[in-house]
Amino acid sequence: MIPILSITLATLFVGTLATFAAGPRARYVAAAVSAIFLAEIAGMFALFSAPALGLALPTQFAEPESYPWIQVAWLHVNYTVGIDGISLVLILLTGILQAVTVAYSWTEQRQPAAWFGLVLLTCLGCFGVFAALDVLLFFVFWEVVLVPMFFLIGYWGGPRRRYAALKFFIYTHVASVTMLVALLVTAFYSHSASLDFASMAASAQTLALPTQIILFLSLFFGFGVKFPIVPFHTWLPDAHVEAPTGGSVLLAGLLLKLGGYGLIRWALEILPTGLQHVAPILYAVAFASIVWGAGVSLAQRDLKRLVAYSSINHMGIVLLAIALYSSLGLLAAVLLMFAHGIVSALLFMVSGSVHHTFGSRDIATVSGITPTAPVLSTMTMTGALASLGLPALISFPAEFTALLATWDKIGFWVLIPLGALVITAAFYIWMMQRLLFGTPKSIPVGAHDLPYPEAFAMGVLVVLSVLYGILPNLLIHFIQLSPVAGLP
Amino acid sequence: MTGPLSVLFGWAFLVPLAPTLAFVVIGLFGRRMQRLEWGGWVAVGGALFAMVLGVLIAVGEMLTPGSYTDRSFQWFTLAGSGTGAFPNGFSLVMGTLVDPLSAVMLIVVTVVGFLVMLFSIDYMHRDSGLPRYYAELSLFLASMLGLVLADNLLQFFLFWELVGVCSYFLIGFYYQRPAAASAAKEAFLVTRIGDVLFLLGIFIYFQQFATAGPALGWAAAGFPFVYHSAPFLAGIPISNPTLFTIAGLLILGGAAGKSAQFPLDVWLPDAMEGPTTVSALIHAATMVAAGVYLLAITSVFIGFSATDQLAIVAIGGFTTFWAATMALVNRDIKRVIAYSTVSQLGYMVLAVGAGFTMVGLYHLFTHAFFKALLFLAAGAVIHAIETQDLFKMGGLRKTMRVTSIGFLIGGLSLAGIPPLAGFFSKDDVLGGVYLAAQSHPLYWPFFALAFLTVFMTAYYIFRAWFLAFSGDQPRDSTLPQAHEPPWTMRLPILVLSALAVVAGLLAFVPQFGGLFAAGARFPPTPGVPPSYSATDLLLSGVSVGLGAGGILTAYTLWGNGRVFTLDARSAAQPIRRLLLERYYVKAGVDWFGLHAVYGLARLADFFDQYVIDGTVHGFERLFAEFSLRLRRIQSGVVLDYAAYVVAGLAVFLLFFFVIVPAIPALGGG
Repeated sequence: MIPILSITLATLFVGTLATFAAGPRARYVAAAVSAIFLAEIAGMFALFSAPALGLALPTQFAEPESYPWIQVAWLHVNYTVGIDGISLVLILLTGILQAVTVAYSWTEQRQPAAWFGLVLLTCLGCFGVFAALDVLLFFVFWEVVLVPMFFLIGYWGGPRRRYAALKFFIYTHVASVTMLVALLVTAFYSHSASLDFASMAASAQTLALPTQIILFLSLFFGFGVKFPIVPFHTWLPDAHVEAPTGGSVLLAGLLLKLGGYGLIRWALEILPTGLQHVAPILYAVAFASIVWGAGVSLAQRDLKRLVAYSSINHMGIVLLAIALYSSLGLLAAVLLMFAHGIVSALLFMVSGSVHHTFGSRDIATVSGITPTAPVLSTMTMTGALASLGLPALISFPAEFTALLATWDKIGFWVLIPLGALVITAAFYIWMMQRLLFGTPKSIPVGAHDLPYPEAFAMGVLVVLSVLYGILPNLLIHFIQLSPVAGLP
Repeated sequence: MTGPLSVLFGWAFLVPLAPTLAFVVIGLFGRRMQRLEWGGWVAVGGALFAMVLGVLIAVGEMLTPGSYTDRSFQWFTLAGSGTGAFPNGFSLVMGTLVDPLSAVMLIVVTVVGFLVMLFSIDYMHRDSGLPRYYAELSLFLASMLGLVLADNLLQFFLFWELVGVCSYFLIGFYYQRPAAASAAKEAFLVTRIGDVLFLLGIFIYFQQFATAGPALGWAAAGFPFVYHSAPFLAGIPISNPTLFTIAGLLILGGAAGKSAQFPLDVWLPDAMEGPTTVSALIHAATMVAAGVYLLAITSVFIGFSATDQLAIVAIGGFTTFWAATMALVNRDIKRVIAYSTVSQLGYMVLAVGAGFTMVGLYHLFTHAFFKALLFLAAGAVIHAIETQDLFKMGGLRKTMRVTSIGFLIGGLSLAGIPPLAGFFSKDDVLGGVYLAAQSHPLYWPFFALAFLTVFMTAYYIFRAWFLAFSGDQPRDSTLPQAHEPPWTMRLPILVLSALAVVAGLLAFVPQFGGLFAAGARFPPTPGVPPSYSATDLLLSGVSVGLGAGGILTAYTLWGNGRVFTLDARSAAQPIRRLLLERYYVKAGVDWFGLHAVYGLARLADFFDQYVIDGTVHGFERLFAEFSLRLRRIQSGVVLDYAAYVVAGLAVFLLFFFVIVPAIPALGGG
């Protein structure tokens, strides 16, 4: 057995340190680390696809590794890592987004070593979150993510970056603390032998029903703020608008997924009874997020704000799919998180490129950019069409599954997310009409199409959108290699 | 059964693949090609291949009728978990299906598609952005062919959406014109409403059949419940008839969006902003035909609900009339033809709703040829004199003989004059509905509307012909000198003219007619002939008489260069105004979009910024105030601190020795 998760963690850690130390050559180190990370992810996929390589437990956590970390009389904290199909797919997303973020910001001039180091550190934290199977370890990585993101927004951000960075930090930190307390209370109240996932999942079932419900709701709040759920979402548009493009890509592509992943792994799997009893509350919050996110997007003039609100809409569908508590719903939720990771990354890159090519992201002012920047325009169209759920692109299989699962479980309530699909189409199509088409307006002299690094990064995402849109089984097969695939 | 051409059925996937490859080649290399027309010939080549193979497959189906499926591509596989709604999981498979319906559609789509591509070469040569045009047109054709050959509803939906997005791009081809960009948006969003309904309909069928499917032995195959699964249906226990009725209505919603049926018809006339070649394709073979085709393939389910049938008949019958009225007064040659499309689609929907599925498809078949002909002829006119305004044209019959004859043949066919194609199919539609109305009295008003429309149809299309082609010279003398188009444009017009004459008669060829005879009516009703064909001569006679009357009226008012002007004080003026303003539906839709929807969104945005985020800021201030006050306890006076220590100790002791033992959960009690 190869301890591939620990090796990956170690390479990412060393790679991040090396990047910080590399000075002006940081980007090459970052690129090398990304390549190694992707190779390691390929190795994980190989382990999952070929049981002969030492993996015989497709419905359990693969490659679990556990070493004692903090051992006192009443507290057993272990270094436990392990992945299943769900974590695997999200780790793939982490690898992809790390690589394209490095590629997109290839020509970063301000403090490149710090920039690339922080980008890598964010991805390291996300990887840790997806691999950790111990509450404390999970929490450490969870908090690790916040710090580099705080600096990415606070140093490289827009004019109101300090306000946005602080708001992001405080808001998500309050949520993190709630989550940690709820998890620790779960462990201690249920007399769990250790803070390990498996031990907690087993012992939490002994808790009284009201306790399970209260704990689940606390966890839901803790993870929900990251989603973000309405009405705890206002940190997101501010953070996105002020964040640099690379920061937005990681924020939307990965950080929001931490919320979804946490809700599945640490709330749904540990307190399933709690979830089933409060499912209507989750549906209501999900519907609110779906409709609110789409509706407010329609009113936005700032392209980046528009994409940010559309994330609230999409993550609302993820929440809905999780709340359904069915194998089909969970499949949909993970698929949709992956799809949203790819597509929102593409759209935030588009916003960034529009901003620095045309000096503004105001879609009511800048218009008719297609003749000037045909490649950027094509990327915008692909991203928008993928996001509104066009078949043959990545979101369609995910949204189709989510809505089918919704119909299957709660019947005609599915009309709410279905209706929101029309609004989603409306704001993207209207955005395209104003930004891409029409008479050229506010086009600065000398505006040019995408530079190579940006075109490359977006091109990769476009290719992936098409690939997984046409062959969704490439992901679906793996997502089902999970303990929760056995749900009704 | 196997015949000489059966071997081709397994290769049916190549039909959509050829234009797809053309799309990829043009998309990747189009802009680097030395001469931009080169991309056009690649597109023509892809379409030609699709046409040859498609027609051969259709002939194969005629020789050996039946349903041939090839299901080989696993698109989406869910492993079952043993419990829940899908205990055995499901697998969504992509495949091809060759049956009488898809064979008819294959001919229509490939032939019209090829001719339009060929026509484009010279029609479009002055435009920029040609690689984009040919790439999108090829993908459009490929998507429609994928839809035609789809063997299950999900695959159908997938291509259905692609057809929609391609038409979006093509309608907005002249994207720098605000009107074109706006029309494209409108087309996408209006059809999207239908698509969402359609998707819910798919969910309902999916769930219903997933329960019933295992008993029939096709659970693993996903849900291949299109036309050919009719034999299965007898064995399906319909557990929830209400849900089935709702599903039928939802499917109708989808079809209404795509086929521009009332009340989702508003987008099609505006879609005129695209190039005329695109209009020809959208109106004849792709896009709008998809809705009728959807109703045809799902008629096996819809036929189980009398409510659904009535709804379809009502929508179809009313649209027939509604759209024709708007065509009466329009002065844009393309818009007149566009309204006629909406109206004719109404006939097809009407026929399918009344249970005569194949009759509806028969009308789709003939209509495709004469409608493409009308559009391409109009395109030739627009290409020559660069205007679409009928009132500026005139006398073009002298300078554009081939075009004028083509338009005339298309017009006669549309008006239902025998023995042209339109006569047979329209006669069958009316006869079928007449027959169905005998047992369904609620169909009578819609039959009457459809019958009345025959007169209007003949009138408006000949009004257009007389205005454009008769008389001595153009009314606007500043127009460029008209000329006959080059061969790439003449050839499609000639071929389509020939087809507009003979397409109806083709049904009397036994093999070809067999396609339409195979299962013409759903649900199969004993004692009803499979296809109505001119059995009621009186009905046919009256309908031809109405058509002839329409032409005569048009001649009286507009013939020989006459221009009929309505008195300004005439009582008919408000009606004319109403028709020109499209019953104010367009204005209403725009108002709704801009003020109701966007207004609400603005309101939500305001609420989001000032109420939700305002509350967050309120908390921020609350904490700031709080900490400002709290700071004061750090007074620096030792005695204060000593007091805090004593108080803290007291609370601590109280907690551990009084409170904790009282709570069992914390180990006390």
